[in-house]
Amino acid sequence: MINEDKTKYFFSIDGLTRTPYINMKILALETSCDETAVTIAVADEKKFRVLSAEVFSQIKTHRKTGGVVPEVAARAHAVKLPLLFDRAFKKAKLSVNALDVVAVTAGPGLITSLLVGVETARVLSWQTGKKLVGVNHLQGHLASAMIPDNGERWTAVKYPMLALVVSGGHTELLLLRGSDKVQKLGATLDDAAGEAFDKVAKILGLPYPGGPEIEKTAKGMTTGVYDLPRPMSKEPNYNFSFAGLKTAVLYRVRGQALTATLQKQMAADFQLAIIESLLAKVERALVEFKPASVSLVGGVSANQALRDALGQLIIGRYNDVQLILPSRSLATDNATMIAAAAYFQARAGKFITWQKLSPNPRLKL
Amino acid sequence: MITVKSKSRQDTIELGQKIARDFKGGEVVALVGPLGAGKTTFTQGLLRGLNFKAEVTSPTFVIMDIYPTKKGDITQVCHVDAYRLQSAEELLDIGIEEYLGVKNSVTIIEWADRVAELLPDRYLLINCESGLKENERVYRLTQVNRP
Repeated sequence: MINEDKTKYFFSIDGLTRTPYINMKILALETSCDETAVTIAVADEKKFRVLSAEVFSQIKTHRKTGGVVPEVAARAHAVKLPLLFDRAFKKAKLSVNALDVVAVTAGPGLITSLLVGVETARVLSWQTGKKLVGVNHLQGHLASAMIPDNGERWTAVKYPMLALVVSGGHTELLLLRGSDKVQKLGATLDDAAGEAFDKVAKILGLPYPGGPEIEKTAKGMTTGVYDLPRPMSKEPNYNFSFAGLKTAVLYRVRGQALTATLQKQMAADFQLAIIESLLAKVERALVEFKPASVSLVGGVSANQALRDALGQLIIGRYNDVQLILPSRSLATDNATMIAAAAYFQARAGKFITWQKLSPNPRLKL
Repeated sequence: MITVKSKSRQDTIELGQKIARDFKGGEVVALVGPLGAGKTTFTQGLLRGLNFKAEVTSPTFVIMDIYPTKKGDITQVCHVDAYRLQSAEELLDIGIEEYLGVKNSVTIIEWADRVAELLPDRYLLINCESGLKENERVYRLTQVNRP
């Protein structure tokens, strides 16, 4: 519980107040894009325990309609959120009154989607007087590195940490000197890595979502038949570009029948090109910044070939660097990572009032 | 219709920049063409011409992005990517009407053919095509003025 002691002491209680967070109960909402998610978690200095985590994903529906979002709009979140709320509180066996903190993704994302989560959180805070935390979606992905894999203890991470955030909407390389001291080293200049997977899958006639499909199709193939570019990998910066890689695939398959052999071979070579482009910048940063740990987070971090390649790079040449690969269930958008990030913010006293919280689609770290 | 051939990414950005330079506010640009035809690159050029200096990435995942800028009466640019959408109605749900044709906004829509019903009577249609070589693109510009 958060201790707001109003008593006047004979001494300063500043500095003593780092430990009042015993079993902080957090409700976290995530509605920044497609996923509607609610998590209720309990956290303190040592532990993080998920009491319930409900996600409504649009991906099943995607399959049926052949690869597009049927209801990305706010309407879908507005319909799903109360249902998920109900399920989450029942599973957690908790009432709203028992909460300490209400947390919500404030950005970046799609404005109307963000609004649903933010407005819900504001109303809750106004009605119940609970403390409110606005979380940056990317901070959520970063916090997933600390979420316990087994058991309840936070994963102890070393700083400085190099973090590669790869998802459908983001591709960023960040350097963290503490959980809230983030320096952006670089990002994609055009398409995100996950988007490149989806679009190349489409070019190859594979279903949505493209990431898992390309991985499955590429499995067991020897790479190196199609000579695809590694965009920007030689440039002395930390930026990425994947639009050209997509075009390169397009030109190589143009006019050809999409046979299973072609699909498999191109999927394998494309996957390797993406992985090598990403890891070229990771390695550059390993050399320049000598981080104590490296984490891989975001939806694309579920890709086993990428996980393996990063693992090989670290074990092979940087084996004193701690490698953090959060559980694949935390890779895609979820509210559990928002709850984790909210804990760190709350611990640092970074609350916001419901009057001041507003969604920001271009929120920066 | 004006047909412009672009030999490089830089060519495309300059083309977009030149076109956007004459925008006054309220313009709607509809980009149409297959994957890899250079729609996002063209949009990056338009944004450059509208004085937006920060990076412009593909909004495929978030569907809509709003960029604050300052060029005459124009204070914001709405960048829509309808790739993941199935109907114009979905774009209405997202709130496109707050930007479409509004005096202080320029609206740029990639994959505009997916939301054709929403396009106003006046808009700039840009058909994008890949050229013979990997870096070549062909842009066909048509000013649509429906009565």
